[in-house]
Amino acid sequence: MSAGGAGVTPRDPEPAAESTAEPAADAVEGRPAGSTWPLALAGLVVVLALAAVTRLLDKNVPGLLEGTALEDLGAAVEYPVYAIVLGLLGNAVLTATGLRDRLAGGFRTEFFIKTGLVLLGASINLKVIATAAGPAIVQAIVLISGVFLFTWWLGGRLGLDDKLRALLSAAVSICGVSAAIAAAGAVQAKREQLAYSASLVIAFALPSIFILPWLATALGLSPEVAGAWIGGNIDTTAAVTAAGTIVGEEALQVATIVKVTQNALMGVVAIALTAYFAFKIERRPDARRPGLGDLWERFPKFVLGFVAASVIATWWLSTVTADTGKATIGVANDLRVWFLILAFVSIGLEFRVASLKEAGWRPVGVFAAATVVNVLLALGLAALLFSGFSVT
Amino acid sequence: MSETEAVRREEPPAEPSGWTSAINEDWAATIVGLLLLVLVITGVIPTGLVP
Repeated sequence: MSAGGAGVTPRDPEPAAESTAEPAADAVEGRPAGSTWPLALAGLVVVLALAAVTRLLDKNVPGLLEGTALEDLGAAVEYPVYAIVLGLLGNAVLTATGLRDRLAGGFRTEFFIKTGLVLLGASINLKVIATAAGPAIVQAIVLISGVFLFTWWLGGRLGLDDKLRALLSAAVSICGVSAAIAAAGAVQAKREQLAYSASLVIAFALPSIFILPWLATALGLSPEVAGAWIGGNIDTTAAVTAAGTIVGEEALQVATIVKVTQNALMGVVAIALTAYFAFKIERRPDARRPGLGDLWERFPKFVLGFVAASVIATWWLSTVTADTGKATIGVANDLRVWFLILAFVSIGLEFRVASLKEAGWRPVGVFAAATVVNVLLALGLAALLFSGFSVT
Repeated sequence: MSETEAVRREEPPAEPSGWTSAINEDWAATIVGLLLLVLVITGVIPTGLVP
């Protein structure tokens, strides 16, 4: 496909299983065409096996490397690194053996990460969520508006199709793959456009998981500012959680609150896009004004679970001794780590570069430029809004 | 029929399966997460059980 072809070339009418672009979109969504539940179950077993190896490495490597030249490295590497690397290795093996797309029904990244985030809510005091909500909402509104409009403008300057512009703008400014899926529904995008956008999100998110924590340390950011920066900047929620984990528990809490706030605003953007395309771009005669029901339909419901877990845990901790509370919430944290590992392994298993090659340089250029703007704007906002914030 | 219309008719939009399943996964994640939390704080999943 020619440069920028993602936006201008009509869709290949091949069936889903034979298209080069569609399996990527389906794999990201976790539902490859033709996949049946025994294959999905086999895929789930692969994810669980790699997660178990990840947990084993995470618990034992630091001890095994103690007293050696690699002691510092062993202590510094956290479970997201093992999980993603093992996922990518598994991806290579499954792709080489032709099994990857068949088993992809078991790679449930979205479900794993959202369940992990609901459980993470149990370790965050409701007061922290309430205190951080104000700056998180301000940051989310400024960041989403600024980055969305910049990406939309640059995509227009480079001649991208309006629907692809909408997908890229939503993906880079809100919450990655989920936002791209929501935007694709809102503007009736082609499946291949969703595949490009989703692949771009993952391609940019993977290095961010390692680069941003390193930069946060190099810049001497406090855990709270680092968390707000990571949460506002990295596109996918799973990658935000991975990077936050590498920085530390306090950074992870703030990063999650900021990201969950962005997730919550996804519905507003999806509704706005629906209305904009219906009334301004395509001028459909049957278009109707969106209502509150549409907003609720597009609201990410796991956000409610995240807040509910915090409410339940905060109340329950007030009824037991500190030692009992700490030990019990520790069990919830262990479960949370398991779900996050499952999500990170799935990210590695799902990643593919094929659709990026198809997209051409223009969507990649737009996404890269938007990411730079996102990094800088998010850093400024995080420093401004979270410099005096503390989760303790 | 214009070319754009023809292309649109042969292309099912990306939304329905992806968006619907995303909604279902949202609810599933919420239910599973809260259920596990309740099992933990009621002691059904005791300390030391999760590896």
